[in-house]
Amino acid sequence: MTKATTLDVPVGGRADPARMMEGRERRFAAALLAPAFIALMATTTFPLLHLGWTSLHRMDLAMPFMDGFVGLDNYRELLGDPRFWSALGVSLVYTFSTVILQVVLGLALALLVNGMKRGQALFRIVAILPVVLSPAVVGMVWRTFMLTPEFGVVDYLSMTAGLGSHNWLGDPSLALFSVVVIHTWQWTPFAFMVLLASLAALPEDIYEAARIDRASPWLCFVRITLPLLRPAIVMVIIMRTMVALTAFAAIFTVTGGGPGTATEILNLYAYRKSFTELSIGYGSALAVALLIFTLVITGVLFALRRAK
Amino acid sequence: MKGHKLRLALLLSVSGLFLLAWIFPIFWSLLNAFKSEQDVLAYPPKLIFSPTLAAFRDVLFGPTSIVPNLVSSFIISIGTTIVTMVLAIPAAYALARLRVPGKKWSGFYVLATQMLPPVGIIIPYFLILRDIGWIDTYQGIILIYLSFSLPFAIWLLVSYFEDLPFEMEEAAFIDGASRLMTLWRIILPQVRGGVAVTVVFVFLNAWNEFLFAVVLSGNVVRPVTISMFNFVSVEQTLWSKLAAVSALAMLPVIILGIIAQKHIVKGLTVGAVKGGGRR
Repeated sequence: MTKATTLDVPVGGRADPARMMEGRERRFAAALLAPAFIALMATTTFPLLHLGWTSLHRMDLAMPFMDGFVGLDNYRELLGDPRFWSALGVSLVYTFSTVILQVVLGLALALLVNGMKRGQALFRIVAILPVVLSPAVVGMVWRTFMLTPEFGVVDYLSMTAGLGSHNWLGDPSLALFSVVVIHTWQWTPFAFMVLLASLAALPEDIYEAARIDRASPWLCFVRITLPLLRPAIVMVIIMRTMVALTAFAAIFTVTGGGPGTATEILNLYAYRKSFTELSIGYGSALAVALLIFTLVITGVLFALRRAK
Repeated sequence: MKGHKLRLALLLSVSGLFLLAWIFPIFWSLLNAFKSEQDVLAYPPKLIFSPTLAAFRDVLFGPTSIVPNLVSSFIISIGTTIVTMVLAIPAAYALARLRVPGKKWSGFYVLATQMLPPVGIIIPYFLILRDIGWIDTYQGIILIYLSFSLPFAIWLLVSYFEDLPFEMEEAAFIDGASRLMTLWRIILPQVRGGVAVTVVFVFLNAWNEFLFAVVLSGNVVRPVTISMFNFVSVEQTLWSKLAAVSALAMLPVIILGIIAQKHIVKGLTVGAVKGGGRR
C-alpha cells in the first residue's frame, strides 16, 4: 500500500552508498511484490477468515430470518452428524485408494517404459492427454460413453467377458469403485511421467557395479532403484494426496455424490450443504473441517518425508 | 532365449494395454462426435461407420449453439492469464533475484495458498460477490481464478528467473540502467521460454476449472465445461452432440499440452519440488 509510493523518496546525501543501494533494492522489491501479495491476500487469506466467521453463524439462504451468530453450534452439530463421518470415510477411501493405485501403476509402467529402447516418445505423448483434460470433461466422457449400462464400452467389455451388465454409477456398491477408477485413469500418467523422468536421471554406473556383482534384477530394484527414487515417489504421493483431497469436478459430473451418499466426499458434502440445501453456515463449518483434515494429512506426509 | 522372447512379448502387451487404456476413452468420445445419432446408439458399439459432421454443425450453428460458451471460456482463460502474468512476473522476479524482507516467509505463504480446498473459498466468495453484484460477471470469476493461478505462476516463474546468471543485472546496473528497465529490457527477454510455458499452464488451468464456474456462472458467464450439461438430462442424452461438445472442450487443451509437452513435468510438479527446499 505505502510500498509503491516510497520508491522516489530522496535518500539523504550523507548515507553510506552501499546501504543506500540496499535500501533502494528493498523498496523496489517490495513495490514489485505488493500487487501480487495484495491480490493473494484478497483472494485467499481474506475469504478464509470470512469462512471461519461464517462457520460461527447460522446462515440459511432459504430462511434468512433465522440467521445469526451461534458460536460453535455448527461444529457441535457436525460432530454428531453421521453424514459428516460417512463423507470423511469416503474421502479417506477415495484418497488413499487413488493415490496408491496411481503410484503403483505409474511406477510399474515407468520401469517398463524406461527399459524400452524405442517407443518411449509415444508413451510420453499419450500420457499427456488425460492430464491436460478438464476433470469435468473426463467425468462426462466416462459417465456417458464408457459406463452407461448397455451402451458404454466398459459395460460392453464386461458383458463380453461374461461378467454381465452393471449399473456402474447407480449401484451403491459399485459407484465408489467407478469414481476411483476414473480418477486413477486420469492421473496415473502424472505419476508415470514424473517417475519416468526421475528414472532416466539415475546414475548408470551404480547399476554397472551391481551387474558385475551379479545382483538379481529384483535386488537391484529393491536396493538401488527404490531408495534412489524415494524422494520422487514421496513427492508424487504428497501432490496426488492434496489433489485427491480437493477433488470435486469428476465426482460432481459423474455421480453428483450419489447414489445416496455412496460417493459423497467431504468436498461434495460441503458443496451440497451450502449450494443445494442452502445451509451456508453449516457448509462453512464442513469446509473448515475439510481444511483441517487436509492440513493434518499434509503435515503427516511432510513429516514422513523428513523422516529417515 | 525362448524365455527371454516370451518375457518381451508379455512386457510389450502389458505396456500396449496401458497405452490403449489411456487413448481409448478419448479416442472413443472423439469418434462418436463424427457419428450420426443412430450410429452412436448402435449396440454392440460400432467402430466402422460413415463419418458425418452433423453433430458439430448442430452444436455450433444449431438452436442450442455452444459458440457463446466457447467464447466465454476463452474470455475467462485469456483474462485470467493476462491478469495473472501482470501480477506474477514482477513478484517472481523480486522473490528470485532481489533481497526481499521476509523472503522465506513470503515463499511459504505463496505455497500455503496453493493447498486451500477450493470448496473452502468458494463459499465466502459467493457471499461477497453476491453482495457487490459480481456473480455471473467476468471480473468476478477472473478475480477468484487468481487464487489458484497466481501462486502457481509465481512459483513456476521463480524457477526460471533463478536459472539466470546474476552478472546479467550487475552489468546492466553499471551501465546505469534503472532497475525496472533492467527487468523489462534485459531479464524478461531471457526468460521468454519460461513465460510462455507459464502462460500455457495458466490458460490450461483456467480453461479446466469447474467448481468456481459451477457456482458463479449464469447467463453471461457460461464456460463450455458447464454448458456440457445441457446435453445430458434425466429424460434423454443427446449422445453425438455431447461427444461433439466434449471434443471442442478438449481440443484447445490437447493442442496446448502437446505444444508444452517437454515442460509438462516441470509445470505439474513445480510447487512440491520447491516446498521441500530442494532445487
